[in-house]
Amino acid sequence: MLGLEHYLILSAILFSIGLYGVLSKRNAIIILMCIELMLNAVNITLVAFSRYVVPALLTGQVFAIFVIVVAATEAAVGLAIILAIYRGLEDIDVTKINLLKW
Amino acid sequence: MNLALFIPELALVATAVIVILLDLLTEQKRLLAQVSISGLVVAGGVTVAMWGHNFPTIFNNMLAVDNFALFFKMLFLGVAFLVILSSVDYVIKFARFQGEYYALVLLATLGMMLMAATTNLIAIYIAIELTSISLYALVGFLKDAKSTEASLKYLLLGAVASAVLLYGMALIFGFTGKTNLHDIAQSIQALSPPTLFASPALILGIVLLVAGFGFKIAAVPFQMWVPDVYEGAPTPITAYLSVASKAAGFAIILRVFFSAFGQPDWLSQNWGLIFAGLAVISMTLGNIMAIPQSNIKRLLGYSSIAQAGYLMVGLAALGVSPVGDILGQSGVLFFLASYVFTNMGAFIAVIAISGKLNSDLIDDYAGMGKRAPLLALALTLCLISLIGMPPAAGFMAKFYIFSAAVQHDLLWLVVIAVLNSVISAYYYLRVVKVMWLGQAASQEKVPSSAALRLALVLSCLGVLLLGIIPGYMMRLAELAARIFIP
Amino acid sequence: MGSGYLTTILFLPAVGAALIAFALAGRPRLIKWTAAIFTAIPLILAIVLFVQFDRSPEAAGLIQFEEKVLWIAALNANYHLGVDGLSLPLTLLTAFLGFLAVLISWKIDLRVREYFAWLLLLETSILGVFLSLDLLLFFIMWEIEVIPMYFLINIWGSGRKEYSAIKYVVYTLFGSAFMLAGILSIYFTTGSLNMVEIAQGGLAMVQTALPAAAIFWLLLIGFAVKLPVFPLHTWLPDAHTDAPTAVSVMLAGVLIKMGGYGMLRLCVSLFPEVAKGYALLLVILAVVNVLYGAAVTMRQTDFKRLIAYSSISHMGYVLLGIFALGQLSMVGATLQMFSHGLVTGLLFAMVGLVMHNAHERDLRQLGGLARQIPIIAVVFSIAGLASLGLPTTSGFAAEFLVFVGSFSSTIVPGIQVYTILGVLGVVVTAGYILWMLQRAFYGPVLERYNGTPDADILERVYMFAFVAVIMLVGIYPAILTDVIKLGISPIVGLLGG
Repeated sequence: MLGLEHYLILSAILFSIGLYGVLSKRNAIIILMCIELMLNAVNITLVAFSRYVVPALLTGQVFAIFVIVVAATEAAVGLAIILAIYRGLEDIDVTKINLLKW
Repeated sequence: MNLALFIPELALVATAVIVILLDLLTEQKRLLAQVSISGLVVAGGVTVAMWGHNFPTIFNNMLAVDNFALFFKMLFLGVAFLVILSSVDYVIKFARFQGEYYALVLLATLGMMLMAATTNLIAIYIAIELTSISLYALVGFLKDAKSTEASLKYLLLGAVASAVLLYGMALIFGFTGKTNLHDIAQSIQALSPPTLFASPALILGIVLLVAGFGFKIAAVPFQMWVPDVYEGAPTPITAYLSVASKAAGFAIILRVFFSAFGQPDWLSQNWGLIFAGLAVISMTLGNIMAIPQSNIKRLLGYSSIAQAGYLMVGLAALGVSPVGDILGQSGVLFFLASYVFTNMGAFIAVIAISGKLNSDLIDDYAGMGKRAPLLALALTLCLISLIGMPPAAGFMAKFYIFSAAVQHDLLWLVVIAVLNSVISAYYYLRVVKVMWLGQAASQEKVPSSAALRLALVLSCLGVLLLGIIPGYMMRLAELAARIFIP
Repeated sequence: MGSGYLTTILFLPAVGAALIAFALAGRPRLIKWTAAIFTAIPLILAIVLFVQFDRSPEAAGLIQFEEKVLWIAALNANYHLGVDGLSLPLTLLTAFLGFLAVLISWKIDLRVREYFAWLLLLETSILGVFLSLDLLLFFIMWEIEVIPMYFLINIWGSGRKEYSAIKYVVYTLFGSAFMLAGILSIYFTTGSLNMVEIAQGGLAMVQTALPAAAIFWLLLIGFAVKLPVFPLHTWLPDAHTDAPTAVSVMLAGVLIKMGGYGMLRLCVSLFPEVAKGYALLLVILAVVNVLYGAAVTMRQTDFKRLIAYSSISHMGYVLLGIFALGQLSMVGATLQMFSHGLVTGLLFAMVGLVMHNAHERDLRQLGGLARQIPIIAVVFSIAGLASLGLPTTSGFAAEFLVFVGSFSSTIVPGIQVYTILGVLGVVVTAGYILWMLQRAFYGPVLERYNGTPDADILERVYMFAFVAVIMLVGIYPAILTDVIKLGISPIVGLLGG
């Protein structure tokens, strides 16, 4: 039988994979995707908690919808900035974006 | 629900929209700044008028309209006012999109005002993102390689911080089943201490919240973005980031940690000590890393990390103090007010000087005492205030915030903090020395526009006023902190 | 005299500084005259204050000319000024040296406007330290002084001036960091920032939170850096040597006295019991100060550095007098502060003259100057003799009181031995002072110093003023000791002696 723990463990694993990706990947777009992964992990947590802790309410689901919306805007701004960099440097490898000391 | 209580925010939204539209219609770009400023003045006037009344929360308990929120709203509006004044000449650098620039500044301000007022985890997240996304775009506004790169770094790290913060919020929501801060506090208090102890979700949630907010206030170890972003961003935006974004972070920390996790005592003492630890490493690392810097914006970046450390001394005091004692809170509020004037003043002087020199290198500031005596004098005053020496505001702020810490047996923390001020004197005075003693490369005067001068004069007046007769602002801070008395 | 009298003395120099900084650009002569006027009036007012001061025995321990206005309600801080027997002589000394420092600086021609503005601001802050009776105000004045000093040494100094300036700042801030922690602790154990009130409340008010001894030491570190006490003294030779002449005069004359004043006013007055407990340790430090200072002075060959080091030794007497904790010894210590301010002030002024006129500061290169510049030589000799404590000079009266007072003090065990060790310092002092005078002014006349100009009229005026006061205090010390006693006797009362 699937319980709350399973969802939480799944989301924790997804979150960790996302975090690992952010820290280890070099391509800015992949980093952005890893961040999306982290956010989606959070969404799973929210929905799972909502379903098991307060089944009568939809707080978690509503929260998750807000997260999805905001994540989309964040990605939009992020991609715009990456485009701007690409135009200047022809490269989106973050280790090569190093005019400033990282 | 009373929409009248939402007028300041609505005014800002309206102004932002008007500015964008106006940008399409007019060639007279100065008009944009004037419209933005009038929007801010309207919002500010309404906010001031709302001060002191006990308004109910609005939007279904989502937003509080208490003195605490109003105090911060006035602060943010004031900062936005100074930022726009100091941008008037700077924006000429941007060929296009001046309207968007002002609109984004206004929207970021709106986000911060909401941050100070929200009492619900969902609303907190949205307010933070509204602020952050506006700022990501503003940081990249110069569109040169450095600025874009700074913007990307800020965005990537900021998004990670948001994700971490969200995860913390999700855990706390899961633990209590609530998203409203007061409801969370009630569910926590309803549980017996052993259950609380046994629950990793709550503790992990709090730690993740600290990490997420720590990013906003630029506390070590969540500070890696600071120097790069400060250096790359347009200078008025750097000023804005260093002051308002930090203040908003503290506003939200104060409210969340006090409202939701203020009770029971052992819990608040634990996060108090977390903040004490963060304070020590932030001050020390910020100050030490600032010493070798050669770029004034990076130097001020590290200095702002150290200042966050001093502010966290106040958070530590508030964590360990018993309920009903608001000295820690009012100390943080007063410190933020004085920090706003001081850092804005310093950055406005930097905008004026660097704008002429086209360089942010400290060595190029040589001889400013001769070339621009008033700018140099103002910058000196602000740097002295940052060291925390009288008669500037920084001293009173430190005295006030440290006195809260001493009262709660945090003398060790205060000693570390004051010794840190000594280290900081070393690098702040280096800038002063270069300005007044260095040989100028040229004798050419450094001109400054009327708008910049006005902004600078206002900041310096604030620094002196809060340094010499701080009583009035302390009273305001105290009234704002009253909401923390249950 | 109504209230506002002390405020006038305190802020006149600052007003002068503002006037000079913002209104008189590009008019050096007018700037100098303004500076002279805005320091002369406080001096006159201070003299009137000294004359009007109530010397009757009933006035012992009373604060006179008190001014008190609520300043920051949230902190219970007041704008609170006043003088008693302890602060009056030092206030007078500051006003005196402040005026003379302007005269001494008359020949400055580099960035005149900034120089005099900083110098006058410096005077205000030092006066503020001596006049304020509120801990917060006291601390603010204490800190403000650092900024003018930083600029004065850095811009108008000589030698390794930048190093010396930042060293001075870092040392001072280091000391005041601890002092701030101490003041905050006092504030939260007593809930008051009023020095007089806390002192009268005695130890009863200082309880809980933190042991009184810890607060005592926090404060003492701040004062010890300033006095300076071995091993926190290393900033002093650098700062004194590299500062411009008038600033050296202020530094040696009054700035370091802030340390001794603070010890008496705060450490001993607020924590008499703790002071008793640590008196022996501090007396030993004092003797180390005297002997170490004197020994190091012997080895100096730089004219100015020699006098700088001699201050360390002389401040040892002050420390000895204070922590012998006897009435007479503390009076002696206060008198020594006054006397040392005059004597060393004069010595620095004279060294400045020699350096300026003969363009040489290495004692090994100087010699026989008495022939070429007789007036400077004579005044220098008088100052030197006062420094080694020759009778009829203020140095003698002060050191004599310190020694007699310490020797007869009953609070510190074995004080007699330490006093005698301290007296040995006088012998060494005599040695280096006489050697210095002999090297510089006597011996074979050197051709290369022919044509060295002697003191001009202005310089003679301030020399005369210095010498007159030194002799006056030396011959009739009661003029000061009567006043000082009024300030010391309540402290003695607290000590239960």
